[in-house]
Formats: sequence, C-alpha cells, structure tokens
Amino acid sequence: MERLLRRFRRGGGDPNATRIRRRQTLVRHLSNRISLINLALFVAAYVWMLVIPFPNLGRFTYIDENALQPGQVTAYFDWGNVHTADLYLADLESLRDLNSTSAERASYITTQFKRLGILAASQAYEFDASVGSLKGVNAYAAFPSPRSPGTEAIVISASWLSRSGNDTLNLRGIATILALADFLKKYSFWAKDLVFVVGDGYLDGMQAWLNAYHSTPQSNLRAEELTLTSGVIWTALHIDYPGHSFSHLGIFHEGVNGRLSNQDLVNSFERIARSSGVPTVLYDHIDWRDNAASRAELEIIPLWVPSFLRDNHDVQTYAFQAKNVLRHVGYQARGKPSGVHGLFHQFRIDSFTIFAVPATGPHGFHAIGRIVESTLRTANNLLERLHASFFFYILTGPYRFLKIGLFLPSAILISVAVMFSGLKIWTDAGWVPDDSPTDSKTNSPQEQWTTRKRPVLSVLRVMVLTHIIGALVFWLITRSVVINSQLLLALIFLGVSTLPIVFVTLFPSPSAAVPTSSVLKAFSLCLASTVISTTAVLNFSLAALLAILLGVPMTSARRIDSVPIKVAVSLVYTSLAFGWLIWPQGELRSAIWNWDILGVWTAPFISIVYAPLMLQSSIVCLS
Amino acid sequence: MTRVPTFLLQVIASFLAGSCLAQASSSSGEEFSEELQIRPLRDGRVASTFSFRTFLHGATPRSPESLGSDDNSQHYHVFPLALGQILREYAVTELHLSMNAGKWNYDEWGYPGELGVATGAELWAWMGEGGISTVDERWAGLRNALSGLFCASLASMDEQRTTSPLMAFVPEGDLPNWPGPHLLRHASLPSEHVCTENLTPFLKLLPCKSLSGIASLLNPHRLFDADWHGMSVHVLWHANKGVEVGLSFQLVSDPLRQSSSKRRDWSFQSLFDRSIDNRCPVASSSTINVKLPTEEAYSLEPSPSSSDDGIGRYNLNVEGHLPSDIAMRWPSEFQYPLGSASVPLVPLALQRTLTGASQANGHLALRIQNRLNEELRVVYLETMPWLVQFYAHTLSATVDGRKHAGLISNVSYIPPLHHSRPTTFQAILTLPPKSTVALSMDVSKAFLRYTDHQPDAQRGWDLPSAIFVPLRNGSDRLDGHSLGQRIYTPTMLIDLATPDFSMPYNVIIFTCTVMAFIFGSVFNLLTRKFVVVHLDDQHKE
Repeated sequence: MERLLRRFRRGGGDPNATRIRRRQTLVRHLSNRISLINLALFVAAYVWMLVIPFPNLGRFTYIDENALQPGQVTAYFDWGNVHTADLYLADLESLRDLNSTSAERASYITTQFKRLGILAASQAYEFDASVGSLKGVNAYAAFPSPRSPGTEAIVISASWLSRSGNDTLNLRGIATILALADFLKKYSFWAKDLVFVVGDGYLDGMQAWLNAYHSTPQSNLRAEELTLTSGVIWTALHIDYPGHSFSHLGIFHEGVNGRLSNQDLVNSFERIARSSGVPTVLYDHIDWRDNAASRAELEIIPLWVPSFLRDNHDVQTYAFQAKNVLRHVGYQARGKPSGVHGLFHQFRIDSFTIFAVPATGPHGFHAIGRIVESTLRTANNLLERLHASFFFYILTGPYRFLKIGLFLPSAILISVAVMFSGLKIWTDAGWVPDDSPTDSKTNSPQEQWTTRKRPVLSVLRVMVLTHIIGALVFWLITRSVVINSQLLLALIFLGVSTLPIVFVTLFPSPSAAVPTSSVLKAFSLCLASTVISTTAVLNFSLAALLAILLGVPMTSARRIDSVPIKVAVSLVYTSLAFGWLIWPQGELRSAIWNWDILGVWTAPFISIVYAPLMLQSSIVCLS
Repeated sequence: MTRVPTFLLQVIASFLAGSCLAQASSSSGEEFSEELQIRPLRDGRVASTFSFRTFLHGATPRSPESLGSDDNSQHYHVFPLALGQILREYAVTELHLSMNAGKWNYDEWGYPGELGVATGAELWAWMGEGGISTVDERWAGLRNALSGLFCASLASMDEQRTTSPLMAFVPEGDLPNWPGPHLLRHASLPSEHVCTENLTPFLKLLPCKSLSGIASLLNPHRLFDADWHGMSVHVLWHANKGVEVGLSFQLVSDPLRQSSSKRRDWSFQSLFDRSIDNRCPVASSSTINVKLPTEEAYSLEPSPSSSDDGIGRYNLNVEGHLPSDIAMRWPSEFQYPLGSASVPLVPLALQRTLTGASQANGHLALRIQNRLNEELRVVYLETMPWLVQFYAHTLSATVDGRKHAGLISNVSYIPPLHHSRPTTFQAILTLPPKSTVALSMDVSKAFLRYTDHQPDAQRGWDLPSAIFVPLRNGSDRLDGHSLGQRIYTPTMLIDLATPDFSMPYNVIIFTCTVMAFIFGSVFNLLTRKFVVVHLDDQHKE
C-alpha cells in the first residue's frame, strides 16, 4: 500500500504522464483482481437474496394516497343481506347438484341481476388452445351509479371455479356478488359505475370478458361482443370464497407477467379487514404461531434445526416470511397470475383477489360483505387513478414490505459480476504471449504480449443460430401434437442435446490460435448480464431466478481438453437449457396454456432467451 | 319558533304580490306560467319536469347593429332581469343552456321532457352578425356572463370547445330578418357537475323563488340525490309574439332505492320532502300533469281535476282546495321487467366506446341499433376537443357484421387544430330497418405539454356526448320540421400519456443528471487538447 501511494505521489516531469500512469496502475490492479471482485459480488448478491425475508429488513405498510381513507365509513351490510346471500347460495347449490351447463348458470345469474333492476347480459366464448379447447358463458351486469356520468367503473368479480383447485366451486363468492349487487344499488354515493362479473371457468372466462371489454383481439378466442359497457375500469376486486366459513382473508396480488397491483389498494383492504376484526394473511399462509391447534402441520422449519433456533422468535419470523417470499417468486418468475385478478393488470386496472381461507369458522358472509363494501367505498373515493410508484415491492407479510431499493441490488450485483467477467474475457482474448524470438534491443525479463484478431462474426453467427433454434423449439412445443405427446418432447430434447456437438463440427475453430471459445463466452456473458439487469426492473423474481441459473454456471463454463469430461459437462449445460422439455410435465403444459390463453411471456422467454444462452455455454465447453 | 313569522311574511308577501304584481304583469305584457309533469317510468323510477315560462309579449331581440348605442331601459316585473341584461348586452337571439348530472337512460326512460340531457354543461346560441363586435367576441362575453350568473365553469367553454354544428342544431324559435346572417355557436363541457350552487341562482330567476307555487318543491337535498337531475334555460323569439324564457328542472328519482317495501309508490313528500302550501300569485297558469299508468291498477290521491290522453291534470290556480301533496300508489310490489320493452320508447339504441390500451392511438366504436320496421336516416354529430383526432379515412360501417357501402353520406369533417380548434364530424347515416350498424374509426390521442394537464391529471379527460337526430319521413332538407328529437350518447373518458406529477423532484433530478453527464462529456471532448505523452521515457528515469 505504501509502495502504491509512493508511486502515485511520485511527481516530477509531465503531470499528464503522471495522471495516465496513475490510471494505468489503477486499471492493472483492478483487472488483476477481477476474479476476486467477481467472487465478492457473487457472495454479496447471494447473501442479499437470503436476507430478503429477514424480519428486521423492510417496514410496515402505509397508505400513500390520502384520498383512499380506508375504514373511515360505516358499513351497512347487515344480517338481512346475509340472508339474501344464503338464499342465492341455496339456488346456486341446487344448480350445482343438477349438473347445470354454463349457459344455464349464466342465465340464472343474469335473471337474478335483472330482478334487482340491474341491466345484465351473458357472453359465450371459446378458446382454441394447443393444450385443449375451452368454452363457457360469462354473466355480467352493469349498475349505472346514480348522478354519475358513468365514465369510470369498479368491477366486482367472482369466477365459477375457485383458485384452490381440484374443481372447487366458488359458490359463496358468487352468492356474495349477488347479495352485494342487491345491497349496493340502494345507495346514491357511488361515483363510479359498479360492474358485476361472474366469469365461467377459472381464468378463461375473465380473460374472454376483459378482451371483449377492451376490444383486444386474440387469435384463438371466439367471444361474443359485450352488449353492456361502462366506462374506464379503475379498480377490480375478485372474491374467492370456496369454503363453508373462513378464519382469515388472504391477499393474492401477482398478475400476468409479474405485474403487481398498486400497493395502496392492497394495503387499504388489509387495513379495513383487520379493523373489521378479520385477520389477514398473505396468500393462504396462516402463521403457525397464531394457530396452536394445527401447529404441527403448518410448521415449516425442518426438524433437524436445533431446538434453540427453532424456538427463537426471529428465526420463526424469518422462516415464515421466507415462505411468503418464495411463494411470491414462484408466481412472479413464472409470470403466472396468482388469481383471476391478475388478468386486469395489463389494462392498467388495480386489482387483487380476496381469498377466504377455508376454515370451520368464525367468519362468513357478514364479515366479507362488510369488508368488500368498505373497500369499495375506499376505491370510490379516488379522484384520480392510483399512480404513485407503488408497483415495485415485495410483501413479506400482510403488513410488512420491502421497497424496490432493498431487493433490486441483489440481482443487479450478479448482473454486474457477469458483465465484468465477460469484459475481462473479451480483453484477454485479444492478447497472446509472444513466442517469437525477442528483439535484441529489449532485454527486460517480462513476458511479451502481442494482439491477435478476435472472430466476432463467426461467434455472432453461432449465437444467432442458437436463438433461432430456441424459437424453433418454442414453435414446436406450441403445436398441440407435440405438447400432448411425451415421446415427441423427448425426441426434441434428444435433438437439442446433440446440437452443441453439431455446432462444434459445423463451425470448427480455424486454428487453435483463434480464440472462438473465449469470444463466444464473452459475448454470451455480456448478453446474459444485459438480460438480467433489464428483466430486474420488469419482473424482479424472474431476474433473480435468471441470476441464480445463469450467473455461476455461465461464468464457470470453460474449454475442457479431456473428451469424456467435456461431453459430460456440455450435457449438464444442455439439460440446464432444455431439461424442462422432459422433466416436470405439468409445468411445461401450464406454461404453454398460460401463453396460449393468457399471453404469459415465460414460455417464449425461456425457450428463446434463456435456453440458447445455456446452449452457448455448452458449446464453449466443447469447442 | 320561526315558523310563525315566516308564514306571516309569506302571507303578507303573497298579498302584496297578488295586489300589485299580478296587476302589473298583465298590463306590461309579461306572462309567467309554471308546469310540473310527473311520469312514472317502466323501471320503477319517476321522472319529474318542472317548467317555468315567462313571455315578454311584443319584445324583440336586440339587433347587433345597435350594440354601439344606448339600449332601451329594461323594466321587468316577472321576467328575470339578470338574464335579460345578458341577452341584451350580447345581442343574443336564441340561447339554450343545460347543466345535467347522470346518464339519461333512453331505453327505459324514453325521450326526456327537455331534450338537452347531455352529461355536464351544454350551451348553444344563435346570434346575428354585424355591428361593432364580432359574434365570437359576444359569444365569449356570453359564456363569461352566464358563468358568473350560474356559478358554473361555463367560461372554460372557450374556442377550444366551440363548434358550429349546423346539421344537428337548428333554431327552435324564429330568427329576425336582419341584414347580417345568424350564426350558431355550440360548446359542451362534460366534466361540469351540477349542484346546489347552480340551483340557487336558478331559483333567483323565478318570480316566486322557491317560496310558493310548484317551485316550492325544489328542495336541493332531494333534487341532487336523484338518479338523474339537470336544469336548463331556453330563450326563444317567436315572431309576432315576443321573447320567451323557459327555465326548467328535470329529475329522475328512484322511489325503490329509498323504500324498504319494494314498492314504487311516490308522493311529493317522498320525492321532494316538501309540499305545495301556497300558490304563486303571479303565475297566469300553474298546472301539475301526472302521466297515468295504462296497464296496471293504481290509485292517485287527490284525484285530478281533469284527465285526458292518459294524463291527470291539476290546476293550482282555481279557487278551492290546493292539492298540496299528490301521491300515487300501486297495490302490489314492483317487479322489474325481465325482458326488453315490446314497444321501444326511442327508435335508436346506442353504444359508444373508445377502446385501445395504448396512450397514443385508440379506436372509436359505435353500435347503432334501428329498432323500427322502417329505414331510418339520422344526423350523426361528434364534437371532440383537439386532444382527439379522427382518422376519417378509416371510417367503416357494417350492418349486422357485414360490410356495407352507402350507409354514410353528407360527411362534413373539420379536423382539430392543436390548442385552438375542436373536431367537428357530421354525417347522415342510413340505418336499415331492424338492424345494428357498427361504425368504427381510428383516433389518435394528443401528447400534451406538461402545462396542459388538468390538476387531477391522472383521472383522464372527459369527452362530450355524440348526438344523433333522426330525420322525419325521409326528408332531405335540414330544418326544424325535418329534424326529430336529439339523442345524446353517454360521455367518455380518455387516458392520455400523463407524467407522474406526484414525483416531480425525481424527474427533475433524473433529467438534470443525464443532461449534466451529456453536457460534461461533450464539453470535455470539445475543449480538450490532445497531445502525445511518452510514458516509456519517464519510466526509465
């Protein structure tokens, strides 16, 4: 250090030369330690990711938009309305028992709306997807609020199927909607039209309805036009009430392609529910510490953890928040909506699902009715759309969250490390130790380096080809013949596994002197870094996942001389790239379904961007 | 405590008024009449229309030529002086102003008693040309004066919102035969919301205020709670008769909203929370007309003094018992109709939407259903602020889903100019019998300067109603006889690209940093002197 400083201070002569020398020294020291810096960046990033669910990180939620005023009104939904809901529920249950068709259900629901004096209509739709076709009939009603011009609207929706899967019906959710329609139309304080939508199926019905409402064409959808329309939809509440009663109200807020709803809306609902005496949870994650009865089944800390840690409050909170964050990443990284509400976000509508966590008690129609009423009053207060930048956040609990600055750097650090290694390899590839006889004039003992040409075009050709192959694979798997056949998928996987060898034989390095492998690695690392950092601001979970999958594997890919080892390693990379073709079948099918019906970008992104990058690493190993 | 003195005052006032004013009004050629029309609607609601008419016999509108010289003195007894002064100051021949809140439901409520039911404010006037000031100068003055008179933001209906849609708006009265031509000015402001501050000046224009006569029912607490409510002012000139000022208030109340018994029974008490306790002494006629249901049993209390054509009439001006509270009752609970009406109340059903998720372009789509068994020709008028620009060449029409030529004729399109002129699009549509015509047109949305945005920037911009006027029996001439009743579509909201005004500092800091970086680098490169520095020599020393 002393020596370094002395060299820095040593003046004399041209100050410009001193400055240039100083800069060169700095660059030399940094580039000599680049692997150390990269290691530090990787460690910092991975530790940061692990720290995200930490109980002391983040802060309590708050309401930013003053107009919302959550929970400041008296709720009027009373036991008479609960009785109305019970009557609707009885009708719906008999419809279920009669195995009624979609059209019969829609006609029942529209008739009920018309009996209330609210204009109602139904919409038949049919999807042609490669995974299979889907059809159904939606029922919807538009209540023009008194005195208002009807240019803005709030949607209250329920779907026939609940999000809890196994074909659980959301009968109580629909009964709540009908009872609310009967109740809400008695008041003149609505500033926005109320639109009630009962979507058929789970996600498909609402997708068809929203597309028709916004006249967005979708090539594989045939749907009737809507005969009733209202204004611009600002807010949507989706009610999912599958059980007989509920103990907690859960919040689901992830939308298609990782979009999130404005946090103010979610926070308002959370505050209203809690002040009405109903505990809230994130998703359906009930904190096992609140629930002594089912402690054993809810506990998430593995048994091998020593008991002094298991009983520590902070460790328990960490484990619980980690569960929430992992669930969030699971939805966001897949780009898959966590409920029907997720379809609204693409039309700039703030929405979330209110999920009544099934339990034997103590809450029912009365609680959910009052809470939805109060939330609607809050949404009704808005004079402008929610616009403060509350769209980037991670909820670690129902009332704790992380701002963007507290989680975004973890993925960015990895992206920086990957970029550093890429640039280092690119520079290194341009130099080669000079073996030619040394010039007699220079008698320094230092090694002599000379520049050499780097093959940019041939490397770019390989990269473009891999991405084209990715697109081809994507085109293949979206054909219904392929996606429905295990054999064809396995064949495609076998085909792409041999690709690196094909590439190496087709485009061999002209000579050992040309550093094709290094340049390819440099380019693919730079591309990977750019992809990670761009994705980070659009969909943090996807960026974090990419950072983990691409970061260390891609930087450690290098040319191997032993043939059996290099084939084995390249096979590992190919499986990382295209293993999803044969491994989790359900996952692939659902990704393709999401792309076909909902337009989720994950499937094309993985096949066209992620997999080719891994394939390039595989080629790096082989060449 | 205060009831007795006010009552006494009212008695004294009515005596005074009765003895002096009534005498005066008839002698000076002024005549005031009032009428309340109540109509039970098929969806259980009740439409009420209050009309107050003042006739100034023998009067003529002021000619613009005389604007430079002193005007005749204005001595009125029942004619509203505040309005009269405005009309004379700006030489207005015909004036129509309406301010409404809510969305008129033509399918269930039929045609309104007063045609101007566009959401928000609408003002149109016919003014003669000539004299020392132009029509546009007087139109600006008229807007400002009315804005002050009615406490409304009418002044913001400036040249950016003013159009002259001659196809759909024809004079409802007569136009004097002056040397200069008469010009139409029309403007609408869909975001204007009518409320009590507009009603108070409205009531001040009535000779009996809201103290007596049917105007005593105008209780702001109930009027502004109604599903739809609106007020309008009309000034017309009838040749050989005189100037007529019509003030009216319309509302659609929902008795079922308040009642717990699911009955649509109404009475003055239930609709207005008031009753008519005394007559307006200056009114030459004062009548209440109740539309009688034809298909169901009902009871009307007290029974009307006369009834014809399904209308029960009460005359408040005849001596005898004053029907202070009229109530209509039905024997059974109300059932909402499940199907659509067998006989349509209006010939057209309209649906207008603006679609497209992008903030730069959109798509205007209209569905117009002709419910009649005969071909119908309608005038279609679309006026838009300059924020929205139509691509008229993309205009296409289909009939029940099939492309069809020859549906659109007589198109006149005045494209907008940024910051100065609105769009006017007029055309005549030919609608085949019992069919649905779908019109669609691409539109582009303006990119605003940041100073152009409204205070509530993130709400969007209100766009005015489109207007459809059916033409009677295939006539080709457009005048008062061939035009049917105007139908307004609901208004729309448009989202334009809006910066997030809630964080200006972030934006300023960000932009300044980028600018500083660019400037710094460019400046550095431009002013730097490049020289060759020999490092090796230094190294050896």
